[in-house]
Amino acid sequence: MTDHLLVESGGAESGPACERFVGDAVRLLQDGHRVVLFLVENGVTAAVPGASPRVATFLRDGGELWVDTFSAAQRALPAEDLLPGSRLADMDEVADRLLEPRLRAVWH
Amino acid sequence: MAWSPPPTDVLLQLLGAPHQTELVSSALRLTTALLGKGARVQVWACGDATRLTWTGLGETKPRNYGDWDREYPSATRIVRELLTDHPDRLYWYVCAFCAEERGTADQIPQVRRRPMFKYAEHVAVAGKCLSLGVH
Repeated sequence: MTDHLLVESGGAESGPACERFVGDAVRLLQDGHRVVLFLVENGVTAAVPGASPRVATFLRDGGELWVDTFSAAQRALPAEDLLPGSRLADMDEVADRLLEPRLRAVWH
Repeated sequence: MAWSPPPTDVLLQLLGAPHQTELVSSALRLTTALLGKGARVQVWACGDATRLTWTGLGETKPRNYGDWDREYPSATRIVRELLTDHPDRLYWYVCAFCAEERGTADQIPQVRRRPMFKYAEHVAVAGKCLSLGVH
């Protein structure tokens, strides 16, 4: 089992690449890895209910969904408007996770 | 003896056009957070991101007509101040080819221009690499 940090910055409106990237996160989960999906910039819109079917699948399969506090605030997205099970996270937490020795990270 | 890049915990590669998205804000926020944790960080700027540390940007952004007396620092100044504050833990490299192609070879002295074929050396001394701006 490997820990992964996947960062999605584009969101659903940037095209199919967001769904494919989240699909990779789901496959990693299904292979038994631990995955944090961090949504940042326009990527935070994928945490709005109904915006991304694969993000909902990711949560259902046990992934940790982090939503950037700063990006969400810029888009007037309060925590109560986001998917249940997601949580707001600061860049400090991302830095902590990124510095974990055996973690693998990808920014998309 | 040939110079080689110092080891760092993280390498951030800036590949995307810096003003098309919030790429620069995110990169600087993450860099600042990593430095706050005591980490060593190197940034490799490619393409139009080489303009972030171009001397031609000056110290401030153009004045804001809605807030005439307020001063907004340029990207160059923000990066320079970060480098000055963390001289042994933050390194900023600029792809020399990309900079010359864009007429931004005149960089602030705190950054180091590197040939693009040396990029692998930077990857080799980084604990982790993140490429930002690729979709």
